[in-house]
Amino acid sequence: MDIKRYSENAVTVYIGDEISETVNKTLVNLKNELENRGTDGVTEIVISYTSLIIYFDLFKVRGEELEALLKEIDLEALEGQPFEYKLIEIPVCYGGEFGPDLDRFEEDGLSPEEVVEMHSGTEYLVYMLGFMPGFPYLGGLDEKLFKDRLDNPRTSIPAGSVGIGGKQTGMYPFTSPGGWNLLGRTPVPLFDEEREPSILYEAGDRIIFKSIDEDEYKAIEQQVADGVYEVNITRREAE
Amino acid sequence: MMTFKVVDPGLFSTVQDAGRTGYQAYGFSPSGAMDYRAHKLVNKLLGNDENAAVLEMTLHGVTLEVLKETVIATAGAEAEIMVDDVSYGSGLPIRVMRGERLKIGKCQRGARIYLGVAGGFDVPEVLGSRSTHTRSGIGGFKGRTLKAGDVLRTVGGEFQNTMKKIKSFEEDDIIRIIPGQQYERFSDDAREKLFNSGYEITKDSDRMGFRLSGPELTAEDGHDVLSEPTQLGSIQVPKNGQPIILLNDRQTAGGYARIATVALADIPKLVQKPPGEKIIFKEIDVDEAAEEYKKELERIRSGEYFEPLTDFTSVRRRTALKITKLMGV
Repeated sequence: MDIKRYSENAVTVYIGDEISETVNKTLVNLKNELENRGTDGVTEIVISYTSLIIYFDLFKVRGEELEALLKEIDLEALEGQPFEYKLIEIPVCYGGEFGPDLDRFEEDGLSPEEVVEMHSGTEYLVYMLGFMPGFPYLGGLDEKLFKDRLDNPRTSIPAGSVGIGGKQTGMYPFTSPGGWNLLGRTPVPLFDEEREPSILYEAGDRIIFKSIDEDEYKAIEQQVADGVYEVNITRREAE
Repeated sequence: MMTFKVVDPGLFSTVQDAGRTGYQAYGFSPSGAMDYRAHKLVNKLLGNDENAAVLEMTLHGVTLEVLKETVIATAGAEAEIMVDDVSYGSGLPIRVMRGERLKIGKCQRGARIYLGVAGGFDVPEVLGSRSTHTRSGIGGFKGRTLKAGDVLRTVGGEFQNTMKKIKSFEEDDIIRIIPGQQYERFSDDAREKLFNSGYEITKDSDRMGFRLSGPELTAEDGHDVLSEPTQLGSIQVPKNGQPIILLNDRQTAGGYARIATVALADIPKLVQKPPGEKIIFKEIDVDEAAEEYKKELERIRSGEYFEPLTDFTSVRRRTALKITKLMGV
């Protein structure tokens, strides 16, 4: 554990220097520990691949005090602690107009059906969020599905699009330009300011994509519009 | 209440408050008024809540038709404030009446003008804030910059004249910075350049970040790092060696080497620099920077940035107009 300060109102804790599920779990454990302690003056904790940043109110606590508090925490003792995470099921209509790049995997010897089966058969770990609100950096993509970004990025990718960019898979909560290979689209709004929570997942949660057809897509879209759609979320205990 | 109708929206005008805090873990940029000092001062002058929403205008002000009498003031960059054909200065409370036209000109000093109004601008809160984030289209006035024809609502309330105005700022080009996450990756030569050259703020600068131009800064072990959270003022250096200062609408995670972080105390000074101006970096230790930031916030709260208002005509316009009418001049 390496504790650093690069801003007046933030302390950064580094754990390891490579992306791994173990590191993510330690970071989630550390975040939970800090939240459980309810440290006075801490305003926000943000997890990334190998670090965790703690923002604080300078008028309530000093950076040095937080550093000292962090040094007292025994990470190894935390590792054995179980914690709860969410498994969020995101329905995706693959191919067609929603997934114009699905057929492109044939050049890698994969039929659209094989791509859908592989992509929807995995539980992906949410390492962190960023790039745009609600955009998850997911881990666990089958390496057979690794695919370079498009040479010519699209000027506009519709919100809800699900795709693959290099070694990552992910989804776009907002319409945006982008160079990812698009596999499909979800009718579930990934950001909904009226919904609690507005963003369905956070670092440490897992996402699974469920293949649906166009009729199901339209039905869910209608349920969302009517305000009756409920996202399938399972709470699980991590060992 | 409906208080203003936008006649001319200016160049880039958005509703902002102190920002959307607590949602960076979900990828939401904090947004908020870039010159936090001007935002706090204009609200304090008007007797508003410190976090009330203001209008942030970049380089050029807006023209508004007044639909309902209220009191306004501007802070931050200095510009000509016209109410119909009468000219007023920045930093003082001005009463505006129904049917009048409030015209805020282009920035004469500084780059961002903040228009405060009694009670603040009334827009719905999104995730606890009224700040606009145009990139994701959330918050503020319909998640976007203002357009001609928009009708702006304000909270309103009685204005208590404090007989004060906001002082004019005399500022230099020194921006203090704290060594950043990958400071060690940069050679002595790069650090030497960083502190001794001066960097120009380019035209490609906006609420997301300021792109600078100057001597190339090379990181010996490469410019890419694993994505990690960005901070206000993070100075990242991509492969081309030209630094970018990340500001309020930044992406919450970034993957470029960060050489330093701008001290929070110097953010108001920095964001008031228009494109084309040069800044000079000076090193500051993180603990000293924290003390400086606290002192700055205390100066804002204590009223040190106010001076007595000796000419009350801007506030007593109602009476003045009545007398003019009675006298038939």
